[in-house]
Amino acid sequence: MSRAGRSVLPFLSLALAAVLTFAANGLAQSAAKDSKKAVWDGDRTIPAHLIPLRDENDELIVPTETNPLPYSARFTCGPCHDYGTVRSGWHFGAMTAAKNGRPGEPWLQFDPKTGTILPLSYRKWPGSYDPKAVGLTAWDFTLLFGRHMPGGGPAEPSDEEVLAHPEARWTVSGKAEVNCLACHNKSGRQDPSEWAKQVLRENLRWAATAAGGVGEVGGMASRLKETWDIYDGPNLDDHEWAVVPSVKYRTVDFDSKHRYFFDLDYKPADGRCLACHSVSPKDEARWSTDADVHSTAGLKCADCHRNDLGHGMVRGYEGEAAETGNRTAASFTCRGCHLGESAAGEKSVVPGRLGAPYPKHTGIPLVHFKRLSCTACHSGPRPKDGFTRVRTSRANRLGIYGVATWATDLPQVIEPVYAKDERHRISPHRLVWPAFWAKFEGKDVTPLKPAVVEAAAGDILGPEARIARILVALNQVLAEDEVPVLISGNFVFAPNVDGGIDAAERPGAKADTAPFWGIRKGGDVLPLVPDFDPAAADKDPAVETRIQEFLQALGTIVGTPGPPVIVVRKTLYRIVDGYLDISEAPAELAEVSGTGWLTEGKFLPLASDFDLRTVTAKAGTEQTLTEEQVALVLGALSKTSEETDFVYVSGGRMFRLTAGGKLDSGKHAAAEPVTWPLAHDVRPAQQSLGWNGCTDCHSVGSDFFFTKLKGAGPLLTDKVEKRSASSFMGLGGLFQRFFGLSFIVRPVFKVVLGVCAVVVASLVFLAGLLFLGRLAGFLEKR
Amino acid sequence: MLFTIITILSALGLFAGLSFRRFWTTREEARSTILYAEIFKKYLAWLALRTVQISRKTSPKAWWEYVKALPLWRLPVLEKWLSICFYGSFLYLAASGFFFAMFIPRGLYGYPLVGHVMAGGLFAACLTVIVIFKGRNFISIPKPASLSLTLLDPRRMGITAARVKIAAFWLFVAAGFLLTLSALLPMLPLLRTPGQKFMFEFHRYSALVSALSATAFVTLEAFGMRRP
Repeated sequence: MSRAGRSVLPFLSLALAAVLTFAANGLAQSAAKDSKKAVWDGDRTIPAHLIPLRDENDELIVPTETNPLPYSARFTCGPCHDYGTVRSGWHFGAMTAAKNGRPGEPWLQFDPKTGTILPLSYRKWPGSYDPKAVGLTAWDFTLLFGRHMPGGGPAEPSDEEVLAHPEARWTVSGKAEVNCLACHNKSGRQDPSEWAKQVLRENLRWAATAAGGVGEVGGMASRLKETWDIYDGPNLDDHEWAVVPSVKYRTVDFDSKHRYFFDLDYKPADGRCLACHSVSPKDEARWSTDADVHSTAGLKCADCHRNDLGHGMVRGYEGEAAETGNRTAASFTCRGCHLGESAAGEKSVVPGRLGAPYPKHTGIPLVHFKRLSCTACHSGPRPKDGFTRVRTSRANRLGIYGVATWATDLPQVIEPVYAKDERHRISPHRLVWPAFWAKFEGKDVTPLKPAVVEAAAGDILGPEARIARILVALNQVLAEDEVPVLISGNFVFAPNVDGGIDAAERPGAKADTAPFWGIRKGGDVLPLVPDFDPAAADKDPAVETRIQEFLQALGTIVGTPGPPVIVVRKTLYRIVDGYLDISEAPAELAEVSGTGWLTEGKFLPLASDFDLRTVTAKAGTEQTLTEEQVALVLGALSKTSEETDFVYVSGGRMFRLTAGGKLDSGKHAAAEPVTWPLAHDVRPAQQSLGWNGCTDCHSVGSDFFFTKLKGAGPLLTDKVEKRSASSFMGLGGLFQRFFGLSFIVRPVFKVVLGVCAVVVASLVFLAGLLFLGRLAGFLEKR
Repeated sequence: MLFTIITILSALGLFAGLSFRRFWTTREEARSTILYAEIFKKYLAWLALRTVQISRKTSPKAWWEYVKALPLWRLPVLEKWLSICFYGSFLYLAASGFFFAMFIPRGLYGYPLVGHVMAGGLFAACLTVIVIFKGRNFISIPKPASLSLTLLDPRRMGITAARVKIAAFWLFVAAGFLLTLSALLPMLPLLRTPGQKFMFEFHRYSALVSALSATAFVTLEAFGMRRP
């Protein structure tokens, strides 16, 4: 090294040391600052949260000011609870999480019109699609599922995400920050329904304020122009439709220093968790359902599902401790809490937390503990009389109340499906059959967005809507005690409050009954237009008045094939220039009668054969598509891109068009059901499998092994996948039947073994006595 | 793993003991020296020679001839079928049990397990019948013992092949009883998980004792009649 180099070296060393010292000092200060927020001082009470509300600009909110902004959790809660740490938690960090954890319930995109039930998850769970891969932006995802999200995550995207998708309306709606109140609010004012409504109104930045009962929020961001910004203030030109969202705070909860009182829980109440995590049997009365045995014993969800400020919830599955590095998690598994065993079966965990009893498991062979999870015997509904259909909060939109009905029956979620989990133990799972339209290229199946399918399908997917529009239009001109109906097959179709149609079965009616439009009055169904002679001098003038009303009402429907007409005995009624025009029917219409549309001089019935056939076929079922519709839509999709193969997945099978244009179905991995392990509800010990003996599961007709599961989906078809319960376990059904059969003779077998053991033991004992007697010389003298 | 090690070691020990006994009682060169090292060398040489000789003689045909020549086929009908069931079930139990215990981490499962359970029942029944009707042939008639230091001298204990055979028989019967018991108890609603674990291990080690005593008995029976 040169002299100059040697002289420079000490300075460089000093500079490096200074930089390192500064950096270390900075880190230490940062750590100290963070730890100040994170470390508990030991006090077990919850401090009164009388705190100033701050908005998203970190400005103090004065509730009495004009147009105050909604409060921001980042700046209101953040000063004491580091917001950045919180938002990395389990409920908010799916998009950025490094580890996926045990598979959980995916988000299910359900679109009845296109028959889509698509499992989605930002976590890489088997069977679930990455929302980005199917073209869903964070904005789309938030609008789809924000109703059951606690803010944060996709609802609070990064600036890069916002800039990458200018078509999204983040600048109008704002971001839905982590909603601390969704879980920690003890106030009865916390309203998940309000949250859902605010999210659907795109009032994202206002949703927490409204749902928490902090203030009343009016207006809808979804109706504002995309150029609107929160600093633009109210829309002075429109006070009815495009009303800007605004907050009216509950001033009674503020003190004179503008501090707001939050009534908070450290451990969230069960109701807060259940707002998004309820699972209940479909069609079961609430009073007859039981809660989880742990809840019944007085435990709260958060007693076991704990977390620190990082909100990395303990999920409670075996292997979680090793996966997350959170050693405490090992004591909150079933085995950890009740047996004191780690996932590896070592007695390394302190058992009995929260008073967990030690299970006896008397007479249960060891193999059950090796091959089954605890939940197999203890959780979910008993596998009696087949599988249980349940509805979950997130899949079936439960817990949102209002004028409209939010809850849906589809997607069909089934439990308990016993399948091997990631630890190769048989455990109960929930199951859903995916259903979606997709591009099929090579081996890759890429689901299509419902909007793309709908655009390609045109009118094919709209029979219900078209018939509903007719019935709703007619309903406008009928008396209160009259309801327009369509009778087709053995069903009566009537309009409902949601603008759709409800189908009711007509007992005793024939399935091939010709379509008939009528008016239901009391228990009778009268023809829409009574039979009368238009040429008669004494005809009832009210009839023609009613005809005019019908035609005017039908004329309001958009997208009809032509103007509405009514033909009665070669007399044509139609509206011309707003007046009823009565004329002799032209020769082409001489043979027709009834209500319909006039198109290029031809008479078309009110509903086409296709519409009637389609709605009648689906009436009384849950299905939303017929095979005919699927074939037509696949044909329509193939016209959009002739070199691409399109498929539809439903009921465990993949449907595609053959070269001859027929609908063909086959198996495919993409059509396989999606499953995820269930843990709750845990049943009491007396209701666990095995309590009544081995034959709870091991019998010839065991529900546990041999219940049949049929694929289900939006498509009305017989071509569905059929699976036996044992097939999900990876076990041979024949062997299990044979093994089950052996339990018929097992009592005799036990008696035989017992007798043999007693006899052999007696003889061995006697022989031993004899030997000893001779050795001792007792028997020699005999 | 521990069970596998113990099984292999005990099987090797029994083989060594039985083969050395045969070497000692049938070969003149065994007594030509008093040096243990020399005896051991001669034993190893004899063992290698016999291994080669037997392997040359061994063939499916030779085995078939051996099986056909067994006295079993000439027994009265009841006794013959009793023996077939007894030996057959025991061979299947030992083969399936040890194979799965030693080489399959999951242990016995599936159809082999069902077969094992069924063969176990048959074995227990046959063993009971054999003990009732044949046990009397294996009653030892020792002289009344006198209290002296000779009781501690193995050479004066009167350990003969016939007595070892009798001991092996009763050990086999006792192990059979323990096998039956350890199969039966876990099927009854009596034992908790630690009890089940104990019975599982107990069944395995009872099986090991049973197999070793059966091997000793059969070896002594087979080679005891053909002294030069």
